[in-house]
Amino acid sequence: VENVVNDYISREIVQDPAQLPLSNETPLLEDGVLDSLSLLQLVVFLQERFKITVDEADLLPENFASVNTICAYLRAREPGRQEAAHG
Amino acid sequence: MGERRAERLLRSVEGVAYWAAVAPTVACLPAGLGYRIACWRGDWDFRHRHRKRAELIRNLEQMLGDDLTPDAAAQLARDWFRFRSCETIDVMRLRYQARPLRRLVEIRGREHLETALAGGKGAILCSAHFGSFDCCFSLLGASGFPVTTIGRWQHNYTAGLSSAERRFWDVVYSRRLRRHRHRPNIEPWPGRVAVAAQAAAILRANEVVTVAIDAPPLDSDRPRTVAVPFLGRRARFLPGAVALAQLTGAPLLMGFMYRAGDYRHQVLEISAPVPIGGTAATAFARCAAEVSGAIQRSPAHWIYWPSGADLADLGLTPEVDGSPAMGAAHRQADGRFLHDGWADNVAARAHSRHGLAARTQRL
Repeated sequence: VENVVNDYISREIVQDPAQLPLSNETPLLEDGVLDSLSLLQLVVFLQERFKITVDEADLLPENFASVNTICAYLRAREPGRQEAAHG
Repeated sequence: MGERRAERLLRSVEGVAYWAAVAPTVACLPAGLGYRIACWRGDWDFRHRHRKRAELIRNLEQMLGDDLTPDAAAQLARDWFRFRSCETIDVMRLRYQARPLRRLVEIRGREHLETALAGGKGAILCSAHFGSFDCCFSLLGASGFPVTTIGRWQHNYTAGLSSAERRFWDVVYSRRLRRHRHRPNIEPWPGRVAVAAQAAAILRANEVVTVAIDAPPLDSDRPRTVAVPFLGRRARFLPGAVALAQLTGAPLLMGFMYRAGDYRHQVLEISAPVPIGGTAATAFARCAAEVSGAIQRSPAHWIYWPSGADLADLGLTPEVDGSPAMGAAHRQADGRFLHDGWADNVAARAHSRHGLAARTQRL
């Protein structure tokens, strides 16, 4: 998952080649890799690729701070986990 | 120095009196008389705001010089002041479901917006800081369209305003406009990265998102701007509206509200969807061409004319001191705050530089 997300961000979102290669800990928001539109672009990609729905309420800095936090969020959104969470 | 301070104080008092007392009263008079009084006030401003008038005429001549005689430039400047004054009356006429204003505005191309919404992906209506654009958005809301605007309420971002002043502008200005909008404005700001996602959610609900696309970019947004032909030159804009349309599949339309020669009637022209194929820059160039065409058709409507620093920020005129932001800071130090359009970006830049921006917490 980390590779897929990192690869997509590196390929489609990063504008400045100096920011590459992107590590999984790179602070995406603080470093300006993600802005409003690129976050939307990323969310559209995540929804299509991982078949999840990202709620507006989930658009929190802690969920999109780095590739690692995005992947943690994705794992928490896995269908099996959600069902378990809902009992 | 004392004279300038007295002059500024007098202007502030006059502005507050106009917005708080004169305009609400005048807006209750028959439209012909009300807008005539607004024009008198515009003429008074034209005569007495020497520096602003001089900058306005200088910028008009610089940008439209080849086609503009000095008399024509002066007439455009007079109209510019009249329009700003009339726009206050427009805001006041948004009372009672906006019926007093709706009676004076003909909406052409309404069917384009209805057809766009019938597609089920919402619609993005782009305009510019052109004429009564803010009233135009609220008027559409009052006409039955679920409208949400992407844009900042400038008094919330103007550095140096007291809370009483912010409250004043909220009461006399934004509250009247807000009443007819479906949701609170989505206010872009550095670090507030959920703006596009919020707009996308609104489009998914098959509603209308409105935005003025010609704002000079903030310093932090400069790397994301695109250079497109504009008013016979090249200007730098943020192509966010087009990128949003490309990501969501929502049709993008253009809308401009023109004031008629009698100053009270207006026509809101809504275009058919603009093609958004190609890169964001290519697609945005089509939108910028529409804005440019509207300004060339009726230059006095464009709000940014008296602001050399905003024109420089857009890349339309040379930067005076090598740094448009410095120009902006200088103007902000003047302490002016009037709802005549350009204070927004000036304020936002000054505010941002002083580190007061860290107030978002939800993306």
